[in-house]
Amino acid sequence: MQKSFTLDILKVGDVAKISELNATELPAKFFEMGLLPGCTIEVRHKAPFNGPIGLHLLGSNSLVAIRKSEAAHIFVER
Amino acid sequence: MKNTVIALLGNPNVGKTSLFNRITKLHQHVGNYPGITVEKREGYVKANGKTYTVIDLPGTYTLFPTSLDEEIVFNSLANKESLSFPDLVVVVAEPNNIKRSVILYQQARELGVPAIFVINMIDELAAKGLEIDYQKLEAYLGTKVLTTDARNGKGIQELVQAFDIRPSHHLSRFIADGQYKEALDDAKKLFPLSTEYQTWQFLAQEHVSFISLEQRRRLVEIRNHHNISGNQLQKWEAMQRNAQVERDIANVVLVKENLHVSKTNHIDKILLHPVWGYVIFFLLLFILFQLVFTLSAPIMDWIDEHFAAFVDLTAASLPEGPISDLITQGILAGIGGIVIFVPQIAILFLLVSLMEETGYMSRVVFLMDRWLRPYGLNGKSVIPLMSGVGCAVPAIMAARNIENTKERLITMLVTPFMTCAARLPIYVVLIALVIPNNTFLGFGLQGLVLNLLYILGVVAALLSAWVLNKIVKSNHKSFLIFELPSYKTPDWRNVTNNVWDKTSGFLFGAGKIILAMAIVLWVLGNFGPNDRFNEAERYVTEANPDLSEADLSEEIASFKLEHSFLGYIGMGIEPIVAPLGYDWKMGIGLVSSFAAREVFVGTMATVYSLGEDVDIEDDEQKQTLLSKMKSEINRNTGQPAYNLASGISLLLFYAFAMQCMSTIAIMKRETGSWKWTAIQTCMMTGIAYVLALVVYQLMK
Repeated sequence: MQKSFTLDILKVGDVAKISELNATELPAKFFEMGLLPGCTIEVRHKAPFNGPIGLHLLGSNSLVAIRKSEAAHIFVER
Repeated sequence: MKNTVIALLGNPNVGKTSLFNRITKLHQHVGNYPGITVEKREGYVKANGKTYTVIDLPGTYTLFPTSLDEEIVFNSLANKESLSFPDLVVVVAEPNNIKRSVILYQQARELGVPAIFVINMIDELAAKGLEIDYQKLEAYLGTKVLTTDARNGKGIQELVQAFDIRPSHHLSRFIADGQYKEALDDAKKLFPLSTEYQTWQFLAQEHVSFISLEQRRRLVEIRNHHNISGNQLQKWEAMQRNAQVERDIANVVLVKENLHVSKTNHIDKILLHPVWGYVIFFLLLFILFQLVFTLSAPIMDWIDEHFAAFVDLTAASLPEGPISDLITQGILAGIGGIVIFVPQIAILFLLVSLMEETGYMSRVVFLMDRWLRPYGLNGKSVIPLMSGVGCAVPAIMAARNIENTKERLITMLVTPFMTCAARLPIYVVLIALVIPNNTFLGFGLQGLVLNLLYILGVVAALLSAWVLNKIVKSNHKSFLIFELPSYKTPDWRNVTNNVWDKTSGFLFGAGKIILAMAIVLWVLGNFGPNDRFNEAERYVTEANPDLSEADLSEEIASFKLEHSFLGYIGMGIEPIVAPLGYDWKMGIGLVSSFAAREVFVGTMATVYSLGEDVDIEDDEQKQTLLSKMKSEINRNTGQPAYNLASGISLLLFYAFAMQCMSTIAIMKRETGSWKWTAIQTCMMTGIAYVLALVVYQLMK
């Protein structure tokens, strides 16, 4: 069964697919850098004390960092 | 005839700058885009029987700007009136992320500029487990596709030969249908001459600088009427294009297996480690500053020695008189004061650009964002703040890639608090004067105070950022998204080029101001408004008839200074600086070093009649200056002018006050606003004055 989470609760090593982005909270730059619905991501790094999260975008093979507060507006499913 | 203009367009980290350096063979210069402040990198290349102007546009992921750098890209490509409007755009891609580059290419073509497509770093293709069908790609893009490797120069000649290609008309693949069509049709009526996509861009951006106010107002009306926002259109476009290009190039770029990220991932496991990542970062920072000071010391000594010899030589070869004095004590001493900082600045930027080239700098942003965010700063503020230890001028320029205008502004406002290289000579002299040469817990007390002043700079920057964060209003939500590029060995051409740009920028930019100030000071110090200055000798001999020859000439010199324009200025501001524990002579130092802090030491030397070229590195000369300053009595208080209280007060004043015209000039240039420049100057000097006042009154 598929479950929907927000991205910020994923742990390092978790792989998930983005299902939806809260478009009113996130600027267009997130879309343009490849964080799009349907894209598979792997959490690679997490800075301590709720610091930024490093995401590996499998489709475009790049490593992108975002803040935890922004990750909370990205919905993923496994 | 106008040169053919070629613009390089591409994502960050695709090796665009390396390519630019290869194409132009370093025949390039850094200027400014007209009216705005972003650096414009422009070069020339002669080929195919003509000269091409090549422009290296800032790296961007899309033509919709979110930062100042990205706005340049859009303005250069969309505004046909602009001087940098290209005849041909070269879209630079790298094998790893062709999709994003294709999107950028399509955006550029649909705006109406001809473009060719270059895949750089082609040597990594196999290692990355990729295969590209070039014929299909050319057919799909409708243009020439070339491959290069800027590191070894492969394919550069072919690329330059392709500069005359003008691809045929581009068929737009992007169609605004359904919900946005009506809004776009309305907008089209405003821009009858623009392409459909250009109009779409105008509609989807809140602020396009080169269209008329009336057009902007009408666009707002259209957006309101159709109940849409620019952001909404941009996201919709990103989604449409992404899905489409992904489908279209699925059989053009074949991913066999993913090999390349693993190496980067291994390194990142250490460098981004929650504990070791920070340990390594601070260790690197420590080594960086050690290197900046230890490596530069012998070079600075060498410059100093030879410059002093050169000044002596010039003085000896010129006939004695005011002209000789102006050249040796005014101009040459001023130049010497600038040149001496060149090694430090060059080494700092060498290390900083190495960190950028390898890809480590984005890791620093990753590690530091969380710790800077509470102060209203951004992970990206680390770079300006760290560069601020060298010199605030390039540091403020480094704030450009911060997207959020508020965070960028705050970063620029607080960066000058960082202890820059120019404060160091003042600190050295003042500490030697007022701090006893004792040890404290096994460390030299003087060294500890110096360290404390550096820490004070960081604390002041963070605290004022925190306060400013509460005051400054922001229209935009703060956000952070950046790519962590894979690690690379640095391209030495880029590094040397960058170091040269930054160092020469300091040398010629700040140098002009320091030099001008040195001359003005010299004039003010060597002329007086009345006959007390001109006939100083008579006045002094009358007052002290029984002085020895040596004492007499010294007495005359300081009498002259007291009655020069400079002396009157110093005495004029004495009432203002007296509560801080300073006398009129220190007042002169403060006024003159408003141009640049490093002028203080030179002025003190003049004031205490030692000649301008006192060498603070030379122990004997330093001792002479120090003993002169030590024996100086403040005639208001009757105490030594440089006691502990006034010394600390002076140190604090220099730690906080905006004593640098170059910084003021660069702030005006970068913010484009006199308001913020004035606020910054008042804030810094205000804090400095109040702190120095409080500390002096408590300690005296």
